[in-house]
Amino acid sequence: MAAPLTLLLLVAVTVRAALYRSSLADLISERVEVVSPLTAWKRVVEGLALLDLGVSPYSGDVFHETPLIIYLFHFLVDYAEITFMLADVITAVALYLSVKDYNKQVFRKQKYALEADRYPLDCLELIRSPKEMQYIPLKVAMFYLLNPFTILSCVAKSTCGLNNAVIALFVLSTIKGNVLLSAIFLSLATYQSIYPLTLCAAALLYLLQRQYIPVNLRRFSFWWFVAQYAFMYLGSLFVIVGLSFFLLGSWDFLPSVYGFILSVPDLTPNIGLFWYFFAEMFEHFRLFFLCVFQINVFFYTVPLSIKLKEHPVFLIFMQLAVISIFKSYPTVGDIALYMAFLPVWSHLHRFLRNIFLVSCVLLACSALFPVLWHLWIYAGSANSNFYYAITLLFNVAQILLVSDYFYAFLRREHHLSHGLYLKRKDGSEATLVLK
Amino acid sequence: SHAAIKIQPMRQFFSSGHTNNWAVLVCTSRFWFNYRHVANTLSVYRSVKRLGIPDSHIVLMLADDMACNHRNPKPATVFSHKNMELNVYGDDVEVDYRGYEVTVENFLRVLTGRLPPSTPRSKRLLSDDRSNILIYLTGHGGNGFLKFQDSEEISNVELADAFEQMWQKRRYNELLFIIDTCQGASMYERFYSPNLMALASSQVGEDSLSHQPDLAIGVHLMDRYTFYLLEFLEDIHPSSKANMNDLFKVCPKSQCVSTPGHRTDLFLRDPGSALITDFFGSVRKVEITMETINLTEPIHFVNEERQKETYSYVDQLPVSEIIHQKPKQKDWHPPDGFILGLWTLILLVFFKTYGMKHLKHIF
Repeated sequence: MAAPLTLLLLVAVTVRAALYRSSLADLISERVEVVSPLTAWKRVVEGLALLDLGVSPYSGDVFHETPLIIYLFHFLVDYAEITFMLADVITAVALYLSVKDYNKQVFRKQKYALEADRYPLDCLELIRSPKEMQYIPLKVAMFYLLNPFTILSCVAKSTCGLNNAVIALFVLSTIKGNVLLSAIFLSLATYQSIYPLTLCAAALLYLLQRQYIPVNLRRFSFWWFVAQYAFMYLGSLFVIVGLSFFLLGSWDFLPSVYGFILSVPDLTPNIGLFWYFFAEMFEHFRLFFLCVFQINVFFYTVPLSIKLKEHPVFLIFMQLAVISIFKSYPTVGDIALYMAFLPVWSHLHRFLRNIFLVSCVLLACSALFPVLWHLWIYAGSANSNFYYAITLLFNVAQILLVSDYFYAFLRREHHLSHGLYLKRKDGSEATLVLK
Repeated sequence: SHAAIKIQPMRQFFSSGHTNNWAVLVCTSRFWFNYRHVANTLSVYRSVKRLGIPDSHIVLMLADDMACNHRNPKPATVFSHKNMELNVYGDDVEVDYRGYEVTVENFLRVLTGRLPPSTPRSKRLLSDDRSNILIYLTGHGGNGFLKFQDSEEISNVELADAFEQMWQKRRYNELLFIIDTCQGASMYERFYSPNLMALASSQVGEDSLSHQPDLAIGVHLMDRYTFYLLEFLEDIHPSSKANMNDLFKVCPKSQCVSTPGHRTDLFLRDPGSALITDFFGSVRKVEITMETINLTEPIHFVNEERQKETYSYVDQLPVSEIIHQKPKQKDWHPPDGFILGLWTLILLVFFKTYGMKHLKHIF
């Protein structure tokens, strides 16, 4: 499998390099759908320039990246393109390896369940075979690398690519079972943008499952493991934050990075939900709605983890999707990350109900974003409502996609335990509905 | 050198006591059928300019633009005599207050000098206590008031108080006030400040009449009083010795139909000693002297001071200091402690993950 992967990597790098050399690079790096105030490359360069002039890069409202990014790009600013291409390659390879390992585990579990005769006889067609699962890792890497969203994000040199790389490495280390590395990568991801904190629960569930510790709130081993993981995670987070303090010698970065993410002062339009609401919010209610919107991101963790405690990798996928939809400054790079996981659940296609609608809406909205932006900003014949409508529709389509996969996954699990042809008590045919 | 100066009787030279002249000429009417008021003002403007008062010392306020009015068959002209004999608009008219800027408030602010700091010099009456000022008003008036712009009016009491403010602020040496409106004499009844002389075109209860219409333009071109005033002034030249008594005789009842009036009781000098050019012209007093005056020796530069660097003009501006500044040599580097700490941690994690046996190979 190494050869097709290498070929894929070469193709992806070529496409990106070609786009870098063209004139589209400047155009793309200014699009609000691709870069946000958190991830724009222009701001990184500005921050580094401010640092060279002897001023803290966090003074003023320009630079909102973490100090480790300053450190990284202080030496790599001339090789930025290679850095971002490398980040994409690392993400793809990490996803490839993790999905390969995950498939092995899925197949092993399925084998045990088959031997233990746990499946009803009529759902044998739902059983997965190694043959169909052979190309899934390659498809995952391809979905990530050749996704137009990823390519746009890489060409725009948005630091979202680095975020995605860290999260992919976290997924890889979690699936491989390495507790320390998983905690460290998760703390790095949280350090960059606060939202991956919600992936803690998924990682915990997976690692507990892998170490055969049952998830029982009354058992000591459960709490001991949770404490270990929490200690490693929080410890590495503190160490990284402390190191960042030593880089610039001040705590300026805390309000500039985390305060910025949480309090959303910049209302530049993007593909998220925050900007329009807060542009027309009265000051009196701003704090309340800010809390509501931010809690919305973290809120789905507990119910989802309770429901999906047997399937932590799907939980990771759901969580990533929720983060990309509801975070304060989403970009298309975040979407590309969770979309890369879709081939892993390609066996659910027979249960997906809205896939045609969702794909049409996503395609249409992606095409309409630049059109309505032009109409609003340049032609002046539309206004922010038009653009927000497309944003809303895009997010609704994403939510529909995610909930559709959720439904399909749960339905398959239900069929696997209760048989493919469901019958009501009186014998007539029944179907499952997601309530 | 000869220090003897022939002392001549100086009384004639400095008999008036003023050193500069100002003129404030105001037309207060708008609309096309009040063409004559604009022509009145412009003809007085023409006269004072011809007699030497520069535009910088004239505040000309015209409430409407007749020269560029759509109904003017001869655009860019304002005639004072019929058959288009004399164009008082000319090529070098400088109107300081135009259109809706001509208000009672602006007029009083010009007189008293209480203008906002952003007002340009051309809109200010920058007179001092050695200034002789000519103030000419024309428009539609009544008993004790003058109408501005068809919407407000200035009363004779306000005008008198404005002149008192000017006197208390030492803004004039002597002031000649001429008004050409109906019942114009009522406007100078309330004056109480010294050194004011006033003329009006008609008494209380009388109307000032217009002179002649031009059938091609279709309106009356001038008022009678100012028409004859203009004719009188056309004979005045800068060295003329005509005095105020001649001015009082302008436009007798036979020509004006109304009775022109004047008031001289507040004027400290004898009106016969006040020349027309004291108010309408800007005659400089020249003292001729026969003696030579020795200035001090010219300044010699010491030779060492000559060796200055030659700066180009641009280099002396502060901008050049900024753009020629060399970029700071020191670049920002991350502190060493940070680099050390970071890489130690990375190495620790690496060895923890991949086992400590690799560590043995290094050490």
